[in-house]
Amino acid sequence: MGSIPNIQLGDYIVIQRQKYTKLQKFGSLDATATLGKEHLELKSLLDQPYGSTFKMCVKESKAGKRGAQRQHTLELCSENELRSIRDILNISSSGADNRDISDNGEAQALKSEDIEQMREACNESSKIIEKLVENSKTFHTRTEYSQDKYLLKKEKKYFEFVQIRQPSIRLMADIFHRQDAEKVMGIRVDTLSQIISYSSVSGFGSYLLYESGTNGLLPAAMLNSIGADTQATLVHMHPGNVPQKQALLALKLPLEQQQRCISVNLYSVLREFYQGDKAETRSDATTAQTEAETAAVTASEENDASTEEQSDIIEPNTKKLKLDESLNSNNKSAPLRWQLENKRAAALMNAKFDSLVMAAKEHPSNILQALLPLVKPSRPVVIFSTCKELLHETYMELKTTGKVTNLHVTSNWLRTYQILPNRTHPEVNMSGNSGYLLTGYTLK
Amino acid sequence: MSFLKPKTYIEQGDIVILYLSVNSMHAIEAVPTIVNKKGETISHIFQTPYGSLKVESIIGVEYGSRVELSKGWAHVLQPNPEMWTQTLPHRTQIIYTPDISMILHQLEVRPGAVVVESGTGSGSLSHYFLRALKPTGRLHTFDFHEARADQAREEFRRHGLGDFVTVYHRDVCNLGFSSELDGAADAVFLDLPAPDLAVPHAFKALKLSGGRFCSFSPCIEQSQRCIAQLTKLGFNEICSMEVLQQESVIKTRSLPVIDLEFLKAPKSAEIIANEDNKTKEPKELKKYLTSSNPQVLPGHTGFLTFATLPPNIPKS
Repeated sequence: MGSIPNIQLGDYIVIQRQKYTKLQKFGSLDATATLGKEHLELKSLLDQPYGSTFKMCVKESKAGKRGAQRQHTLELCSENELRSIRDILNISSSGADNRDISDNGEAQALKSEDIEQMREACNESSKIIEKLVENSKTFHTRTEYSQDKYLLKKEKKYFEFVQIRQPSIRLMADIFHRQDAEKVMGIRVDTLSQIISYSSVSGFGSYLLYESGTNGLLPAAMLNSIGADTQATLVHMHPGNVPQKQALLALKLPLEQQQRCISVNLYSVLREFYQGDKAETRSDATTAQTEAETAAVTASEENDASTEEQSDIIEPNTKKLKLDESLNSNNKSAPLRWQLENKRAAALMNAKFDSLVMAAKEHPSNILQALLPLVKPSRPVVIFSTCKELLHETYMELKTTGKVTNLHVTSNWLRTYQILPNRTHPEVNMSGNSGYLLTGYTLK
Repeated sequence: MSFLKPKTYIEQGDIVILYLSVNSMHAIEAVPTIVNKKGETISHIFQTPYGSLKVESIIGVEYGSRVELSKGWAHVLQPNPEMWTQTLPHRTQIIYTPDISMILHQLEVRPGAVVVESGTGSGSLSHYFLRALKPTGRLHTFDFHEARADQAREEFRRHGLGDFVTVYHRDVCNLGFSSELDGAADAVFLDLPAPDLAVPHAFKALKLSGGRFCSFSPCIEQSQRCIAQLTKLGFNEICSMEVLQQESVIKTRSLPVIDLEFLKAPKSAEIIANEDNKTKEPKELKKYLTSSNPQVLPGHTGFLTFATLPPNIPKS
C-alpha cells in the first residue's frame, strides 16, 4: 500500500468510463476491450501507473449491424483535460420551469447523420455537446437542473475518457453483481461485507470455505481479509474439477499469500480426509481423477450455467498445470498437484478450522453435516443462500442438534441516495434481493 | 487477550462471553477476584437470571463449553467484534455490524492498512478495524473526550490489541489529526456531529497515492455538507447509502385445516348418527415452517457517505 503500481502484461484491469466499470484481462499487447460499440486497443496502457486516465482516439470506424463500431487507440492524458462540461460550455441562461417546452421532436435541429459525422470528425465530447446545445431550440429555456441532466446524459454517450484502475474486492463485487448477479450467486455487496464480518476471517487462524461458483469472489474476499505476510490459511472447497478463480487472479496477490488459499474438490478432499492413503492404494490416481470429474459433472448438472462459467475461466495457468499433471502421471512416482493440495487440506482439516463459510447452489444441509465437525467449538458459521426457505430448514436442523447456538437468519435493505443541493432523495431503483445469511457459533 | 486470535482455552484475564440465550449475552472478565465498592477484594461471582457463576471456575475451560450455573447452565464463547458490539459497556451511541461491515468493505481495510478514525466512542467500530488490519496495519483513533480515550486505550491493551492502535485525546474538528499522520492513511473514517469540518483534515491525512473516505451521519444535512466539502477538495466516487438488516423470525406453526366442503350437501343419516355417538374428532392440523419479520426493527441507523481521493492531488 502506498506507491502506485504500473500496469503489466497479464494483469487484470478495471476499465472505467464514467460510472461504468469492467474487468478485463490485459493478456497481450494486441488485446482489445469492448465498451458497447467502442473497441479499445490496450497496447498503450503498458507500464503506465494504475489510476491513469486515457483519451479514446478514433482510429477507424466500421459500419456494424447496430450503428458504427469504432476502433480506438488510447492516449495517456492529464486530469486537467477533464473539466466540468458546464464550465467548458459556459452556459449562462436557464428557464424557471417547463411550461413552454413541448415534446414535438423538433427541439434538436441536427439530424442523426449530422451527429454521426461529427462524431467521426472530432474526438471531443465537449465539442459535440456544444454543437448539440447550440442547435437545441429548447436548451436555454430548460431549468438549470434539467440542463444538468441533459448534459450528463449527452456526456455519458459521448464521453471520450477512460480510467484504468487496479482490481480490488470492492470494484469487482460491484462489477460482477451489476453485470450478472447470478454469476456470483446473487451475493450483494452488503451481504458480502457481512459474510466477511460474521466469519471473523482475519490475519490469524485457519478458515474453511465451501462455494459452488462465485467467479472466485468469495475466496478472493476471504484471502484479501487474510492478508499478505500473515499466518492465516484458507481451505477453499468447490464442487467442480477446476475452481473458479477469476477474482483471485485479478487481485494479483503475492505468491506466498496465494499459496495460503488451498483450493480442493469437495468430494476428493473428503475422501482423502476419511480414507487417506487407503484410498490411494485401492484406486490409482487416474480413477481418483475420474471420480473428481464425475463429481464435477453431477454438480454441474444441477446448474448447467456454472459449467459455462468454468470453461470461461480456466486460465492458462491451470491448463499448464494440467499438462504437468498428465506428464507426471506417466511416471507414476510423483504425486499430482491436486493430490498434494488434498493432503495439505486434510492436514488442516485434522487440525480443525476457526470458522466455516458456505455459499452453496446445492441444499446446504448435507454439506453442512459433513463440514461442521471440522470446525472448532466457539467459532462462527456463516451460510449464504439466495432463498430463505433453504436456510429455514437448516436453521431448524441446527437448532434441533444443539451444536450451533446464537442462530440468526438475516437479510438486508440497501438504499443509495442522490445527495445534491435541494435535490436529495433515495435513488429511483434499488436491488430487491440481498440474499440471506444464517449465522451462529459452534458449541463443544 | 481474547481478541488477538482464535484460541481454545479460557485464560485468566480473558474477556469471555457468557451466552444464556439470543437475548441474553454478557461479557465478563475471567478473573477470580474483583474489588467491590467498599474497596474489598472479593471472589468474582456473576449473577444471571439462571443463578450465579463463580467466575474462577471457568478459567482453563475450553471455549464453546457448557458451564453450570446455580440454577441452570450457559455457554462460554470467545468474544469477537460482533459479540463485543452486542455486549460492550456503552459510553456513546455505537455503530452495529451491518453498517460496520459496509464501512470495512468500502474502505478496503485489510491487513497492513493504516486507518484513521474519529471519534473512538465506545470502541465498537475500532475492534472491527483492528481485526481487519492486524497484524501488519495500524489504527489511529481520536476522541475529544479524555476519559473515553483513556478507557478505550486501556480496553485495547487488555484485549491484546494494544500493539496495533494509537489512541489520541484530541479535538480533530479544530486541531486536525496530528501532523505525523499527514499523508499516512489508506482510509479515514468520521463519525462526528460536523464531519464537514474534519474533511480537510482527512484530505491531509490520506496518502498521496490516494485513499478512501467514509463519514457516518444520522442526519442527511450532515451528509449534504460533508459532500459539498468533499467535492470542493477533489474527492470522487462520492456515494451515499443506508444499510438496514432484517431478522427473520423462524417458527414451526401448526395450523388447523378447516373443511367447508361438507356444507354443500345435506347431512346424511349416517353422519347424524355418528355425531350422536362420538365426541368430536380432533381437527386436522398441518405443520408449516414459517418466517416472519419482527414487529419492530431498526428503520434508520445512519447515512454512510463514501468517497475516493484520487492519486496525486497536490495537498497544499
